[in-house]
Amino acid sequence: MVPLIIVPVMFFVLFPALAVIGVRAGGDAIDELRPLLDVLPPEITRTLGPGPLERQILVYLLEYQFATFFLIVPLMVCAVIAADSFAGEKERRTLEALLYSPTSDRELYVAKLLGPWLAAIAVSVIGWLLFAVLVNVLAAGDIGRPVAISVLWLLVLGWLGPAVGALAISVLVVVSARVRGFQEAYQLGGVIVLPVVALFVAQLVGAVVLDARLAVLLGAIVWVIAGTLLFFASRGFRRERLLRQV
Amino acid sequence: MTGALVLEASGLGRTFGDVVALEDVSFRVPAGQVVGLLGHNGAGKTTTIRLMNGLLAPTTGGAKTLGHDPWREGPAVRAGTGVLTETPSLDDRMTAREAMAFWAELWGVPRPEVRPRIDDLLERFDLAGRADDRIGGYSRGMRQRLALARTLIHDPPVLFLDEPTAALDPIASIGVRDLVRSLAVGRDRTILICTHNLAEAQELCDRVIILRRGRVIADGTPSEVAGSAALPTRVELELDLEHAEIGLRIARAASEGNASDLGGGRIAIDGLGRDGVPGLVAELVAAGASVYRVTPDQPTLEDAYVALYGDAES
Repeated sequence: MVPLIIVPVMFFVLFPALAVIGVRAGGDAIDELRPLLDVLPPEITRTLGPGPLERQILVYLLEYQFATFFLIVPLMVCAVIAADSFAGEKERRTLEALLYSPTSDRELYVAKLLGPWLAAIAVSVIGWLLFAVLVNVLAAGDIGRPVAISVLWLLVLGWLGPAVGALAISVLVVVSARVRGFQEAYQLGGVIVLPVVALFVAQLVGAVVLDARLAVLLGAIVWVIAGTLLFFASRGFRRERLLRQV
Repeated sequence: MTGALVLEASGLGRTFGDVVALEDVSFRVPAGQVVGLLGHNGAGKTTTIRLMNGLLAPTTGGAKTLGHDPWREGPAVRAGTGVLTETPSLDDRMTAREAMAFWAELWGVPRPEVRPRIDDLLERFDLAGRADDRIGGYSRGMRQRLALARTLIHDPPVLFLDEPTAALDPIASIGVRDLVRSLAVGRDRTILICTHNLAEAQELCDRVIILRRGRVIADGTPSEVAGSAALPTRVELELDLEHAEIGLRIARAASEGNASDLGGGRIAIDGLGRDGVPGLVAELVAAGASVYRVTPDQPTLEDAYVALYGDAES
């Protein structure tokens, strides 16, 4: 439970607050952040609006960079819970009794998927609400309009974020069913965070910017990959296979 | 319900790679019977339970549990069975009440009945006082009782109990055994018990099936199985000390020399058979001996188990 509370609080409350306060208090040092904006494509720069550099930096961070950063939360929530889905049961020696329950293999599989996914959506929505309230209280006055309530954010919250969570689950439930303990599952499945980190870094250097169009496209690709992995994993999911590791 | 078949295995077999876990196992269990499934570790007892509950597919043969094919209709079978696994399989983070409520929901117990059933079971299994304590703090005996209570939350007509008293101290074992015995009362529940404890099997079971290396080597009531091992019977007599010598002479004559003096007026006679006992006693009395006690010593299930396993080895 602790990582499921602390990390979202860090991502949705602490980091945004520090970012806003830091930009405001940056003074002349804010000029060192100008390269972040210089690498942006013109269509993105236009959305930052006119005004001082400080304002533009805030819009960029709160509307774009944090939207990418946000993807780590559903991914992490799904990863932690999904890694525990079977590996944790094996570790706690509670799996065998669960296998004797009057559920079909498919029901067991779906339940283990839905749990982490729904939890990730709940944490994401609550976190986003906290984030939106916080940044608007702190920065809307400076920016002159509401922030974090945009098509991009809604797409990240309702399309790309759940897709990333589904991808994390598709990998980790399979890993969890094959390894003996939670730590092993979590470490093996941890590589799933790399694509999001890569997106974040690519955005920092201006190689790509997560806008609404890219969010739709990336979400579609991730859903297809996740759906395919989940489909093939479900076909091979059998109680018998889990029993061998009990 | 009593009399209808609830468990059927027909040529049931299961291999894991090159390992034959179960081979050509057949039995039929009517409703209300308490059956002991006996055998060494690795004999195939747990594999049998898993096959009868649809956790494993048979390699050969087939089975029916409550009229359903366990492999094809697993959920339907498991809705009607309760399984006590060899390890209690309890979540230490939950309280007993929380765990029971979870399992009640999983088994589809109607909401209004959940609380009363949990209260009743926890009371019956002497856990009511610790119902709201985390299972992680329970003793082994308490965990086993809770696991046993869990098997009953949905009131199943069939129970599979895998080593119910294993790893328990003698007092805890007696408690669990008493609970198992109470489950068999009334003959409305079929119970299959896997156990190493032959005395327990003899005490609790109407019938025992002995497995060795995945095959059935004996199947019958405990006394039938004990008798089937063709073990010699022993009769022990207790006579007045003054008549011990004449008693020993008569006993040796009746048993072709297979009588021995145990001291204190006691004489042991091997191979006499039940039918020879009245005649021997009549002879002793006619010779003037005072006979205080005659104890035919029947072979126990344990004697038969050891003999059968030894015969199977050879």
